[in-house]
Amino acid sequence: MTRLRCRGYSSMVSNGMNPGFSMRSSLLAAISVLAFVCPGRAQTFQGKELVQASLVADVNAVVPGKPLTVGLLLKMAPHWHTYWRFSGDAGLPTEIKWNLPPGWKAGEIQWPLPFRMIDPGDIETYGYDNEVMLLQEITPPASVPDSSIKLAAEASWLVCEKLCIPGSANLQIGLPVSDKNAAANEDLFTRYRRSLPQKWPEGKVASATWSRGGQELQLTVESAALANYPAADFFPLPDANVVVGHPKTERSAPGKLIFRVPIEGDPKLSALNGVVVFGQSANSAERNGWTLPTEVQMLSGGSGSLWKFLLFGFLGGFILNLMPCVLPVISLKIFGFIQHAGQDRRRILRSGLAFIAGIFAWFIGLALLLIGLKSAGREITWAFQFTNPYFVLFMSAVVLVFALNLFGVFEITLPQSASRGVLGWTAREGDAGSFFQGVFATVLATPCTAPFLGTALGFAFTQSGWTILLMFVAIAAGMSSPYLLLSAQPAWMRLLPKPGAWMVHVKQLMGFLLLATLLFLLWVLGAQRGVEGVIWASCFLLALSVVCWMKGVFLVPTASHVARVVSILLALLLLLGSGYYFIGEKFRATRLASGEMQMQGDWQPFTPERLEEELGQGHSVFVDFTAAWCLTCKFNEASVLESSAVRDAFQRHGVVKIKADWTNADPAITKILKQFGRPGVPMYVLYPGKNAEPILFPELLTQSLILEKLETLLPHVAAQ
Amino acid sequence: MKSKLLVSLLSCVASTALFAAESPAVGTTAPDFSVTDSKGKTQSVSQYKGKYVVLEWFNPECPFVKKHYGSGNMQKLQEEFTGKGVVWLSIDSSAAGKEGHLTAEQANQKMTEWKTKQTALLLDPNGKAGQTYGAKNTPHMFVINPEGKIIYEGAIDSKASANPADLANSTNYVKVALEESMGGKPVTTATTKPYGCSVKY
Repeated sequence: MTRLRCRGYSSMVSNGMNPGFSMRSSLLAAISVLAFVCPGRAQTFQGKELVQASLVADVNAVVPGKPLTVGLLLKMAPHWHTYWRFSGDAGLPTEIKWNLPPGWKAGEIQWPLPFRMIDPGDIETYGYDNEVMLLQEITPPASVPDSSIKLAAEASWLVCEKLCIPGSANLQIGLPVSDKNAAANEDLFTRYRRSLPQKWPEGKVASATWSRGGQELQLTVESAALANYPAADFFPLPDANVVVGHPKTERSAPGKLIFRVPIEGDPKLSALNGVVVFGQSANSAERNGWTLPTEVQMLSGGSGSLWKFLLFGFLGGFILNLMPCVLPVISLKIFGFIQHAGQDRRRILRSGLAFIAGIFAWFIGLALLLIGLKSAGREITWAFQFTNPYFVLFMSAVVLVFALNLFGVFEITLPQSASRGVLGWTAREGDAGSFFQGVFATVLATPCTAPFLGTALGFAFTQSGWTILLMFVAIAAGMSSPYLLLSAQPAWMRLLPKPGAWMVHVKQLMGFLLLATLLFLLWVLGAQRGVEGVIWASCFLLALSVVCWMKGVFLVPTASHVARVVSILLALLLLLGSGYYFIGEKFRATRLASGEMQMQGDWQPFTPERLEEELGQGHSVFVDFTAAWCLTCKFNEASVLESSAVRDAFQRHGVVKIKADWTNADPAITKILKQFGRPGVPMYVLYPGKNAEPILFPELLTQSLILEKLETLLPHVAAQ
Repeated sequence: MKSKLLVSLLSCVASTALFAAESPAVGTTAPDFSVTDSKGKTQSVSQYKGKYVVLEWFNPECPFVKKHYGSGNMQKLQEEFTGKGVVWLSIDSSAAGKEGHLTAEQANQKMTEWKTKQTALLLDPNGKAGQTYGAKNTPHMFVINPEGKIIYEGAIDSKASANPADLANSTNYVKVALEESMGGKPVTTATTKPYGCSVKY
């Protein structure tokens, strides 16, 4: 038996401004159960022993050239903890600095699986309580001249309960040198080796893929083995200065886990290192963990996925045509086809192409604007332009002018040069008209995120400018595809009725459809600026109508030069005067409307605090993210959320219903939309409970979707 | 409830246990708050528009904070930049009864004792300012430029430790960000992972 000698001291920063040192001389205890362990150095605080540190070896002697494992054993006082290699929102990982004789090498620290700790203020840290042992492989050189050696290390750690105190200890372990050795401290090492993460399983046992959606990385792990473990967790290991949020776990199938990790900054970051942990219960001692393979395949950023998203964009663009508010313009276009039915095919094709060019022009313009905003660091969202009351006002004016034109109050004559300039070929008047119809149809189509578009844009907004541009081009292509087909399809011609006097009537009817659209826009304005806002806006629109009428009456080719000049001046005066007074003075001064829509019945208005409070009281919460100008939202609300089956189910399960109204782009709501990687409304989220993962629903709701989720996730609440 | 579009500077308090209190991203407009300082004056970010503003989350009991004050490092930095017209707001978001909570009197005493040189020490015991900025650590630093945009967020320096000996060979990110921005250059390191004690909400 070799007598070992241990020396060392431990220190801590005491409560004063100067580090104080507490020395603890320790008598060498008789070597008992823990052979080859030096008595720990203790860190004391206010008379309490917080951490006891010691070094432990897994062998009873050093054999030259043969690696051994040494563990730093830290025993913490109850409720005090030290940290994992990535400590989370606060804390510091424990450090070990070896002072080894020449020729000796120390390997990387092997860290047992950490535990998740949550403090008030949503501060999440990863570490250990009670006791932990950090393992390191030590490799002696091939020849060791001495008969015994001392391995010395300085360990430093941060130990926290409600407060944090750094501690450190100079530790030593002495071992005889021999040509053979036996295992020592087997129980301790077996226990801690079991708690280390394992390598990622070989072959096809488990797959891991990263993808990126918005400010969030998603890790999908699939393995049949996971089905036996109800609890799963992901502990990230980000590189220095990558700021990660708190991973959230979802299980979409027994053997399939999705971990969502919010990230800040680096838009190019596509994967993280980390450890996937699973067990019978969260934070239990009996857990298994796999270290992610470093070469995890990436979903996003790969060209394959880009194509998938572009396809989504194309489909979404196609579906935009079916949006209710686009109908008048679409009818106009069809009407255009009828008008041109008598003309040759090339003419029709050209007018169709002009219309399509209009669609592309708007989308590419929007893409460039978004790229500009994004590079300026602004939050960007889809349909953001509708959150601005002045844009809505402008749209109302455009719609009204179009309607008056259809009623025949005046004719729109576009100068030749403009149309040539835009389209680059000698166009007749109709082409420029078609072009602007294209722009117009598209503008009206944007208030709602069509299905597929949300996914596609959510992806695009996190990518480079080129990707955003490509995505918008795909959407434009999708939206214009029917017209391209129709324009290029001569068989169509035979199906069209002959032009005649009835066309004037249809045109006027279309005008009324546009007026219906105007009503909708005014309603949006009302939601943003209240009744007063709508009234002042309408005053301006009235003045604008008079200007249009003047144009129709006095600005005709037969009018004399003087009459023209006078009427132009009068029209300008009226337009500018009413614009200045009604919009610049009156409308601008209107108080913002409350931002809360009519909360029908049992919906409560959203605030982050309210959501937190409801969850804190143990309720499940369903949040409807909506806006006054979003028609998909209205449709979902009417057909699904307000249907009696869904209403009953919400009530039966005791779900609290909250409406988040994004009509005025409330930043608190924008933030949450971004957290879920969504570019806009509609969005539907079910929070099953305080610690359960939120469930995100698709943009087109169905009753069965909601009912199914409620049944599987939530307990029944007895009817009161 | 007033809508928040034009009053967009109203903070949105991130909710516990649901959304991580995320810090506003670098490049975005610095959210506003209004908090009383130890002298009883109301301090807000918006009132200093046109000046550089440094926000420093502070807890006098935290060893990481002590590292920077005990060594005189933080005071030196405060003195240097307030001398150049920068507004330096230290913020104590410790809740009542938690470590580092200060009454106005205690705060003034601490400032005298430690010879601190900040513009003001803000007392935020309900954590409003802290949650608005998603402050997680003491020290957690933010630098706001005269246009009201955040140009730096994160740690005070490059060496995450509570040991004053590490100051000598660490890069002070706040100093570098201020100097670069004042020199008309973009900030090279604009986001880092903050280190320190957790803010005691």
